[in-house]
Amino acid sequence: MTKRFWCGLLMLAVAACATRPRPAPPLQSAQPSSVAALAAAIEVDAKRSDHEPDSRIRGELAAEATRDAEACLSREPQAAACLYGRAVALGLEARAHPTRVGELLSNMLDTLARAESADPNYDEAGPARVRALVLIRAPGWPLGPGDAEAGLAAARRAITLRPLYPPNLLALAEASAKTGDASGARESYVRAHDAALALPAAADRDEWLREADQGLQRK
Amino acid sequence: MTTLLAAALATLVFCAPGYPGGAGDAQPLIDQFASAAVAASGWPAGSLAAVYDPTEEGGLAKLSSADAVLAFVPYPFFVEHAAQLHLTPLVQADVADIGPQQRWTLVAKSGRVTGPASMAGYTILSVAGYAPDFVRHSALEGWALPPDVKIEATGQILSALRRVAAGEPVAALLDQTQAAALPSLPFATELKAVMQSPELPIAIIAVVDSRVAAGRARALQAGLLKMGHVSGSADSLGPLRLHGFVLPKLPSNTAAP
Repeated sequence: MTKRFWCGLLMLAVAACATRPRPAPPLQSAQPSSVAALAAAIEVDAKRSDHEPDSRIRGELAAEATRDAEACLSREPQAAACLYGRAVALGLEARAHPTRVGELLSNMLDTLARAESADPNYDEAGPARVRALVLIRAPGWPLGPGDAEAGLAAARRAITLRPLYPPNLLALAEASAKTGDASGARESYVRAHDAALALPAAADRDEWLREADQGLQRK
Repeated sequence: MTTLLAAALATLVFCAPGYPGGAGDAQPLIDQFASAAVAASGWPAGSLAAVYDPTEEGGLAKLSSADAVLAFVPYPFFVEHAAQLHLTPLVQADVADIGPQQRWTLVAKSGRVTGPASMAGYTILSVAGYAPDFVRHSALEGWALPPDVKIEATGQILSALRRVAAGEPVAALLDQTQAAALPSLPFATELKAVMQSPELPIAIIAVVDSRVAAGRARALQAGLLKMGHVSGSADSLGPLRLHGFVLPKLPSNTAAP
């Protein structure tokens, strides 16, 4: 069976799930102007897009995030926050425009690499973590940039930097499962569960616990 | 009433083992396709549902259900299960940039495989590895593989090719899109195409176990064949990267249902 046909059928909404935004900060009351405010605005867009069923609104959120990312980069072209925000915006664009998903995800990976070079610790090792998730979930060669082994390497980098951050452990678990290491995946899901339990109660913590439990049930 | 009820229960099962994606991603596209196919065929509107399953086991389970009247499956799946499921081909897919048929290519490390006998102890990895009959008797027709050759399914063809290039006793069976992209790999010079299949269908739409009456099946076949030429229908094919459908042209060794 040709991949071209089935990947056309099944083009993943990889970008939305690969961008794992932090808790949404309060909505901005005015047009954001500082790097921090622009990065926060992109996070808000990502969070909203993640739960938005209407494709037209997801497209608008992607466009807004892209404008904010460009504004951010025009202020500080090498800032990890701006590069990371740009990568998140590209992920939203990929979700909104599935026919361009290959090009957009490749661009997203390049931008995440630049963000990781600028500050690998940004967003709890976010550049490596998000890179891992894109590589794990995107369509693989030859149609897309997906590469499970490279995804596993990126997940390990995130763990090295922030070993107790649950999303990093969840990304490692997913990468391990994708590369055929079922016991490693199980171990990481257990660690993710334990790490999340050690955190104060919050919506994100509940989501991480749910994800870890679902992963363990699949094992 | 009985006729209406029967019509409403008809389901087209898409199954593509080894390819990425989940049912949620595919559902809107296959719903659109089912509606267009029904319209083109003169079947009652809403009389054909569509479901997708990315796994062989899941696809087989869905196809065993009494409401599963049609299967849209890769040719390897058809070869492997046509007899068991009593699949009668209606049309084969005409895929954008490929056509209705494709060749599969066996790739090994340069200089290692000179013929079937030199593959003793090898493992063949392929997205079609779930269908060993297809691999042995369709894709590698004419190559008498040693009995100890293993055939395994993989969705990670890039990883498989890395193993080939590293010199492991592994070969990769690639579809036409994958084979065409080989030169893009940084380790392409380590690889060699050692065998190519004859032209084989890419995907088949088939009636399951005679669950569609002959007249309705003929109407559906006629509708599917004209889908690529009617603007409304063609719109539903684009997202699936399909040009349309042609009459089945199966190799002579394909098992009869």
